[in-house]
Amino acid sequence: MQYIWIVLVFLTLFAFLVGYLKLVSFALIIVLLITTFIKGQLVADYFMDLKNVKNSYRFIPTIWLTFVISMIAVAYFLPITE
Amino acid sequence: MITNEIKKQHPPGDFGVWVIVYVEFITFGLLFLGYAFSRRADVELFNQSQLLVDQRLGFVNTLILITSSFFVVKAIQAVKKFDTKKASEVASKWLLAAMALGGTFLVVKMFEFTAKFEQGINLSTNKFFMFYLLLTVFHFMHVLLGTVILFNIRQKTKIGGYTQEDHVGMESGATYWHMVDLLWIVLFPLIYIIR
Repeated sequence: MQYIWIVLVFLTLFAFLVGYLKLVSFALIIVLLITTFIKGQLVADYFMDLKNVKNSYRFIPTIWLTFVISMIAVAYFLPITE
Repeated sequence: MITNEIKKQHPPGDFGVWVIVYVEFITFGLLFLGYAFSRRADVELFNQSQLLVDQRLGFVNTLILITSSFFVVKAIQAVKKFDTKKASEVASKWLLAAMALGGTFLVVKMFEFTAKFEQGINLSTNKFFMFYLLLTVFHFMHVLLGTVILFNIRQKTKIGGYTQEDHVGMESGATYWHMVDLLWIVLFPLIYIIR
């Protein structure tokens, strides 16, 4: 379980450094959104202990994360028309 | 096929707490999308305002919540692994550490809010800060409630109230706490980092 915590810390540090060092770009926003999904899924699977629960329950946080993060990507990348 | 057979039929904790979790997912999900789509109306305003939020405090608070969640997992593992007496002793320590981190999160957030209020920033400053305050204050209240729940779980743990066979109450409180962590995991990059 400590490996999960280490991965979460590492991905959080990565997100912070991208923001703090002002490295945010189109490609890195995609990477940040993917790492956010991975972090959320790790919390759901290992901390909430849904990994070995029936898929109909396990996939609720997964569907939520997929929908919310995808829509955030749409909001950021969809061209803005005047 | 074999994997399906050994999968648990229900998630850990009481079903009621999962209903709360799903409602919170919908509520916060709508707020996250409200922020993301409102930003499209004035990207420059959002980007300029975002420069005023302290990414370092957001980062520290993310580490705090992730670590606190991890400590709660350790507490549950202790209850499942040890006899009631030892479980009570070990789990209480993990829960105390988790609570302390919850309290630290609240202090850091209060510091952050105070700094913003002293700069004259409030809900009506602009749309970015309306969302920033709405989301972070709303989440703050969840952390506060979660810390109170952890306190109550710890009180029961101390008197041996959870055993290897019966720890549903503890799992329910833990589920709430992990949800608070999960919501922050999305909130942090959205409000503090991505621009």
